Amino acid sequence: MADHEIELGDELPEERPDVSMETVRRFVKAAQMDFPRFTDHEHARAEGLPGAVIPGIMSQGQLAAMIHRWAPGSQILVLDTIFRTPMVVGTPVVCRGAVTNVEDDGTVEVDLTIISEASGATGVLGTAHVRLPT
Amino acid sequence: MSDLDIDALREQWVGTVFQEIDLVVDEDRMLEWAVTCGETDPRFVDPSHPDFQASTSFPTHINAARMLPDDFSEIGSGRGIDGGKSIEWHRPMRAGDALHATVEIGDIYAKTGRSGTMVFIVNRMSFYDAEQQLVATVDWRMIRQDV
Repeated sequence: MADHEIELGDELPEERPDVSMETVRRFVKAAQMDFPRFTDHEHARAEGLPGAVIPGIMSQGQLAAMIHRWAPGSQILVLDTIFRTPMVVGTPVVCRGAVTNVEDDGTVEVDLTIISEASGATGVLGTAHVRLPT
Repeated sequence: MSDLDIDALREQWVGTVFQEIDLVVDEDRMLEWAVTCGETDPRFVDPSHPDFQASTSFPTHINAARMLPDDFSEIGSGRGIDGGKSIEWHRPMRAGDALHATVEIGDIYAKTGRSGTMVFIVNRMSFYDAEQQLVATVDWRMIRQDV
């Protein structure tokens, strides 16, 4: 996608990433953060969480993957995320994004959210500064 | 609210490097990270791609042994709240890269709302390559309630 095709307000195609227990277990091993709060619902509830939670940095990675599919060849220069509400492993989420600024230098700002489809709660808010392919 | 002096804290701590670590970027973990996050771009999931590199959020999991300097001021109680993470990229991180990371207090600031004053402490990890070129910077915001 070339930058001349992108306009302020454009929405990225929604994505529903894989947040299954199996995939989260693989992720936390790769991230060297294999803690039961991410992989064991009972243990997480005992800690006061609603269940095993999706690691925030995994959510961050899912948002980056959505951007790369939307704009193949793009480079994310900055990705800033706030983890607002714990999202439970195995509960479907939807990733959304919208272009909030288009610069003359070929970069764009994208506002990002991840929402729990079960509760409607916003789990992650973010902003990305992206250099588009020339 | 305590008589916490944010300006004095900033003066004392911002820019203070309190830990340094060396690491080598592991290809298998880099690849598994990208795949489990749902990346499909060959730059991140195909090790034979000429531009194969770490996916965007990969460096955010690299934690220092200490979140704060040993003698950092006590603020609030407990571990506090994770205020989020930001990553800024300067150049790609490749499999096998030998990196040097510094950990410092990047910023300290306060925000006051209905629930009182919250103090934000930014743990900043900067990754440098063998030529001392900055590769990426990760800011981790920790929030503590000033009570």
